[in-house]
Amino acid sequence: MIFSTLEHILTHISFSIVSIVITLHLITLLGNEIIKPYDSSEKGMIATFLCLTGLLTTRWIYSGHFPLSDLYESLIFLSWSFSLIHIVPYFKIRKNDLTTITASITIFTQGFATSGLLNEIHKPTILVPALQSEWLIMHVSMMILSYAALLCGSLLSVALLVITFRNIFYSSKSNNLLKLNESFSFGEIQYKNERNNIFQKTSFFSDKNYYKAQFIQQLDYWSYRVISLGFIFLTIGILSGAVWANEAWGSYWSWDPKETWAFITWIVFAIYLHTRTNKNLQGANSAIVATLGFLIIWICYFGVNLLGIGLHSYGSFTLTYS
Amino acid sequence: METLLLTLNPLKPQPYLFKFPNSRTPFTNNCRGFFSPISCKLSSQPSKDTTKNKVVVPGAAPSLSEENEPPAKVDSRPKKSGGAVVKRLTKRGLSVLANLPLAIGEMFTIAGLMALGTAIDQGENPEYYFQKYPEDNPILGFFTWRWILTLGFDHMFSSPVFLGTLVLLAASLMACTYTTQIPMVKVARRWSFLNSANTIRKLEFSDSLPKASIQDLGVILSGAGYEVFLKGPSLYAFKGLAGRFAPIGVHIALLLIMSGGTYSAVGSFKGSVTVPQGLNFVMGDVLGPNGFLSTPTEAFNTEVHVNRFYMDYYDSGEVSQFHTDLSLFDIDGKEVMRKTISVNDPLRYEGVTIYQTDWSISALQIVKDEEGPYNLAVAPLTVNGDKKLYGSFLPVGNADSTNVKGISMLLRDLQSVVLYDQDGKFAGVRRPNSKLPIEINGTKIEIVDAIGSSGLDMKTDPGVPIVYAGFGALMLTTCVSYLSHTQIWALQDGTTVVVGGKTNRAKVEFPDEMNRVLDRVPEINEPSDVILG
Repeated sequence: MIFSTLEHILTHISFSIVSIVITLHLITLLGNEIIKPYDSSEKGMIATFLCLTGLLTTRWIYSGHFPLSDLYESLIFLSWSFSLIHIVPYFKIRKNDLTTITASITIFTQGFATSGLLNEIHKPTILVPALQSEWLIMHVSMMILSYAALLCGSLLSVALLVITFRNIFYSSKSNNLLKLNESFSFGEIQYKNERNNIFQKTSFFSDKNYYKAQFIQQLDYWSYRVISLGFIFLTIGILSGAVWANEAWGSYWSWDPKETWAFITWIVFAIYLHTRTNKNLQGANSAIVATLGFLIIWICYFGVNLLGIGLHSYGSFTLTYS
Repeated sequence: METLLLTLNPLKPQPYLFKFPNSRTPFTNNCRGFFSPISCKLSSQPSKDTTKNKVVVPGAAPSLSEENEPPAKVDSRPKKSGGAVVKRLTKRGLSVLANLPLAIGEMFTIAGLMALGTAIDQGENPEYYFQKYPEDNPILGFFTWRWILTLGFDHMFSSPVFLGTLVLLAASLMACTYTTQIPMVKVARRWSFLNSANTIRKLEFSDSLPKASIQDLGVILSGAGYEVFLKGPSLYAFKGLAGRFAPIGVHIALLLIMSGGTYSAVGSFKGSVTVPQGLNFVMGDVLGPNGFLSTPTEAFNTEVHVNRFYMDYYDSGEVSQFHTDLSLFDIDGKEVMRKTISVNDPLRYEGVTIYQTDWSISALQIVKDEEGPYNLAVAPLTVNGDKKLYGSFLPVGNADSTNVKGISMLLRDLQSVVLYDQDGKFAGVRRPNSKLPIEINGTKIEIVDAIGSSGLDMKTDPGVPIVYAGFGALMLTTCVSYLSHTQIWALQDGTTVVVGGKTNRAKVEFPDEMNRVLDRVPEINEPSDVILG
């Protein structure tokens, strides 16, 4: 009883803190770079992280197994991973665009987890026989960490796309200089950027464009780094899952829908990483692939579970066993 | 887009072309591995731009010259004039296969086919597809059962289309590794000192340290994990070379997994059996060959004896685990192994793996009116809902009459038996082994035991070691691929040290890291003889 009360309190605290952080971000956005709210939003995310850690530990203690056996727990773990990603680059580089994205996606997952939609599965359930393995921790935590990292990375790419295409939209009705913005590839942005430097003193627009291009470059770079990291987690997650499946189900790969979709995700992000190697495909093209990856992760994470098919949906898995 | 790129080109410095005599080797740089650099870099320091006439510093300098070279050109000017037609054709084939857009296309196709494979129900009867994808109402206006059955999409993951694409992708992987990645590494390994301060200044990152010594820089760099080479006034240092090799490893690991998977598919045996507790079977009777390379082994003569099957329960009554106590006897009847298996804990014996996958109830042992014990057969009942239910029937009175009446017994698991009397009314619940008899319609029944049968899956899979080796290699190389290959050059120019460097992945962190390193280089107070002299 104490545990569930504690859990309740922690859930609500973390949710409120994230809401406050989002509000602070909005204020920062409107109030044009006030340093102070930014700092407190960082502190807020650390507090969220601690709350979620507490929440997961509580659940672990009173259910007696690693809290990753159903959707609710995995959602909490997902928002925990987001806040982890949020605070880790914070120690490394003081300020980057990831913070806004991680904060807003945390509120999304946290909000979904605590909303009434998933009410009936809030209670910690027993572990079905197939889940009773040390591989559970390794496989599921890696998968969710990778989802978190890949979602963040691909959201950065989505942001990049939005900014690039807004550029094009504006430039099409703007003056000659801005027409240079009609660019899809990064090389051109670069070129434009360099051009803008030349015109920097003569044009106000070019100055603005310079910062925009720099911002796009930042987005591109961080999206690439975060996705690379997420890809590592995804690889480890899928492979540890395969090894586990060879222990539990008798085959390391059985083309179960969840497996297949995880593999599709893996392939899409492999494509993303390959597009990075070619100059002609970089920039907006790779961002489009990452955006596709963003949708596919959600299909893999939620879609397959909602359909309740295959070996991974533990609702129907009990069919075989009890 | 092309024109803009062309206008960009003259701005690019190509200073290293002469340094690499082998730079015309036919690699197209189409596929440089998983984590290749952002090869274009926006200059982030506007102040520097005014002092330099260039903005763009490409990532991998040696390979730059090939960057925009179409693969076809390689063939149009073969290096060796005596190249045979076959050789040229192979080369051409390789360069086509190593083409990055093709590889990306293949990957997209595979992803698409897999998605389709999860959307279409797999392994159903043709009638099912006739009904679900009728010709008079095609999905998207064209997709009917004809497509599914012709292309084999009812068994997508073994269909020729899917496997063919996989084979094509494997060929692309090999071609890419051979024509692109390996030459890339050869170039990356061929390091050299730079003897001109101007060349160093043109690098992605450059700085000059007045009043510093190159030796100090070398010591600090090697302290920061770099391999440092010093020759006279020049210094070369690098870190994370493994990051360049790793993408090759990723490709090789993938090929390993694919070949292991193929071997699994053609060389394995599979089978499943439901054995009541106390009975036995011979492995070879259960295992059926999967492909043409499946050859039975000695172990197939082994007899498996199911000593005991039991379940663990949670306090709430739900099943927590299934266990089967197995004994293996060789052909001479000698026990060679004994193990209690459960889900997640299979038995392995000479390449054969036995998994606990399913269960059922085979018999009820009862004592009727102090007689017995008798074994009553138990049959699975199909009822709506997803839970298993088993039933048994004990006739009472004249068993030969047409209107047989008796006691019905129902079980959900091995924990308890629900008994109903002749009229179908609930009579009571008894646990096996409780030694508590129940009297129904004048018959005294004691349930001695519920005998379960264990559902076992068996397989031999010679591909697993190869696949696991591939898994290990893939995990390792993907991680290593995150490393950034950093190269640093420095030159002592009088009392000033000119430092420059580049890296292929961690481009944004690199200047910060360099600045941290360079801050630690001590300033040398020049001996006064320079001033005095």
